[in-house]
Amino acid sequence: MGFFDAFFEERARAMARRTGRRHFLGRLGLLLVGGASLPLLPIARASAGTDSAPRVPAPREDISGPEGDPTSCDYWRHCAIDGSLCACCGGSATTCPPGTEVTPVTWVGTCRNPSDGKDYLISYNDCCGRSVCGRCVCNRNEGERPEYHWYRNNDINWCAGASSNIYNCSIAVVIGQATERQPER
Amino acid sequence: MNTRLRSNRPIRKGTAFPALPRVLLALGVMLGAFPMAADDEIPTPTERPSVATLPPIGDHWLWVPDRLLGHSLLFDGDNGEVLGMIDSPLLLTPQVPIVARDRREIYSVDVGYARGNRGERIDFLTIYDLDTLAFKAEIVFPTRAANGNTAIAYSSRLGPRFLGVFNQFPATSVSILDLDARHFVEEIGVAGCAGIYPIDDHRFASLCGDGTVAVVELTAEGHQAGISHSEKFFDTLEDPVFTSAGRLGRRWVFVSFQGRVLEVDFSGATPRIKPAWSIFGEDGGSGPSGWRPGGLQLVAIHAPSRRLFVVMHEGGPGSHKDAGPEIWVFDLDARKRVARIEPPPLAASFLGGRLGIESDSFGFKLLDWILPADTVHSITVSQDASPLLFMRNAEFGAIGVVDPDSGKALRILNEAGLFGPTLGVP
Repeated sequence: MGFFDAFFEERARAMARRTGRRHFLGRLGLLLVGGASLPLLPIARASAGTDSAPRVPAPREDISGPEGDPTSCDYWRHCAIDGSLCACCGGSATTCPPGTEVTPVTWVGTCRNPSDGKDYLISYNDCCGRSVCGRCVCNRNEGERPEYHWYRNNDINWCAGASSNIYNCSIAVVIGQATERQPER
Repeated sequence: MNTRLRSNRPIRKGTAFPALPRVLLALGVMLGAFPMAADDEIPTPTERPSVATLPPIGDHWLWVPDRLLGHSLLFDGDNGEVLGMIDSPLLLTPQVPIVARDRREIYSVDVGYARGNRGERIDFLTIYDLDTLAFKAEIVFPTRAANGNTAIAYSSRLGPRFLGVFNQFPATSVSILDLDARHFVEEIGVAGCAGIYPIDDHRFASLCGDGTVAVVELTAEGHQAGISHSEKFFDTLEDPVFTSAGRLGRRWVFVSFQGRVLEVDFSGATPRIKPAWSIFGEDGGSGPSGWRPGGLQLVAIHAPSRRLFVVMHEGGPGSHKDAGPEIWVFDLDARKRVARIEPPPLAASFLGGRLGIESDSFGFKLLDWILPADTVHSITVSQDASPLLFMRNAEFGAIGVVDPDSGKALRILNEAGLFGPTLGVP
C-alpha cells in the first residue's frame, strides 16, 4: 500500500505541478457554470422559489490544501459515490471520459473536505453511452438514502437522464458549500 | 484466425492424402457399397444434437443475475446444477426474472437499442416458455423502465393477469402490462415513491420519500382506480427503511437502517401500521459502532414459519450497504432472535475456482484461512416446508446454500457469474 500511496501521491503532485492551481480553478469554475445551468438538482431548485438568499452558496475560490487523489475511493468528494471512478477511465473527478455523455440529472452528497474542514455539496454525475468501465469501483454511502429519496440515492442508474441509458462511470463535482451537515446516524 | 490456426497445425505422418480414403469410405457407406464394413467396423452413430428442456419447476430453483455477464443463471439449489439462463444485457443489473407457474411462463424486463448501445431505445417485457425456456412473446411499452444497481421491487406480477414495471424518469411511475392481451395498459404515476410491492390481485404499494406508503388500486382492466397514502411511519433522513423487504400475504415487513421492524398490514381499505419493534430487543438502538442491518437484498422472510432473515454487520453511519458476516434470524411473532447464521467460504470458492484450487484440498483451506471472514450482501429463502437459504456477496460468483433450520452449509453454487447484487427464488 505504501508504494501505491506514494505512487499516486507523486502522480497527483506531478499533475498539480504541470497544470497549476489557477488552471484547476479555471476548469472548476467552468464546470460550476455548467453545473449551475443544470436544472434538475431538486435540492437547489426547491429553495429557489421562496428564499432570496441562496441556500447553496457557490464555493469560494479558496478550497485550500491538497486536492487529493481522484482515483482513490477515499478521496473526500467520493463520500456518497457508487460506481467506477471516471478518473480511472479516461476522465477525471469532474470530467467524463472521451466519447461519453454526462447525464444532466444527478444525485447529491455532502462531503467534508479534510483540507479546509468545510462541507461541500457534491453532484455525482454519471457518464453514459459506453459500457461499465469496471476500473476503480467505489461504493461509499455517507448520507445516501433509498430510492424513494431519489436525489440522495446512488443505486439509480442516472444515465436515464442521458440519451443512452448505458452506464460508464461517475464523477464528483463540487456545486456549492453546504450550509448544514448531512443528517446521519 | 482460422488460416493461422490451420497453418500452425502439424502434419501427421502417413496422412499426406488423408482426405481421399475418408471420402471414399463415406461415399461407400452412403451408397451401401460396403455393407459389411458399415455393420462390423464403423459404430452406428446414436447421438443427435438437440436442445434440452427444463425439468418440472422445483421449490429450490434460484435465479442468479449477473451484472457483468448481463444474464440470470437458473440454478437447482438441491444439486448445484445450472438449468439454463435468460439474457438481459443492457440493463445495469438484470431484473430477477418472474416465474408464473399458473401461466407456464417466465417474464423478463429488457431494454434494447437500435445500434448496440446507441440509437433508438425500446423497452419490452420478454415472455419465455417455462417448459422450454424458449422465447414466446413480448410486450413493448413506453421507454421508461427503471434501471438500477439492485433493481429490487422494479417489476412484479399484479394478480393473475397483470404485471407492473417500475419507471424512474422524469418522475416515478408504474407501467401496467396485460399478460392476457399482451399489451401495455397504462402508466400510473407514483411521484416521490419507489418500488412495486404487490398486495393482492388489484392493488400494489410503493414506498415514498415522505415516510408513507402509497397504495394503488387497479380496475379489472388494469387501469388506475385510485391511489392513497398511509400515515407517515418512518423518517427518510433519520431512520429510513430499506427497499429490500419481506412479504406475508397482504402484509409487508420493512426493516429500518437502525434495525426497527415495521410491519404494514394492507388487508383493510387503508394500510395499518403495526407497532414497530427493534431487532436489538427492548433497548433498541445499535449504537455508533454496534451491529446494524446492511447490504443490498438484505431482508428475507420465510412466510410459512414466519421467520425474518436480516444481513447484519458492525459499522457506523453510512455503512448501510456494507456486506455482513452474519444473518440474524427472528421469530416474527415472538419478536425475538432465534439464530445467527454465518456464510460458508464464498470468497475462497470463487477465487479458488478461478485459480484451479479444488475445494477439498489443503490449498483451499489455506486460501480460506488467508482471506478475510466471508460476508454477504444479499439473501433469499425458498418458501417451501424444507426451505433453503441462499446468500451471496455481490462481488463473488459463488452462492452459499444453507439450511436455515440448522444454519449448516449444504453446498456452494460455484461459477455463478462474476458480480451481481441480487438473488431470486421463482
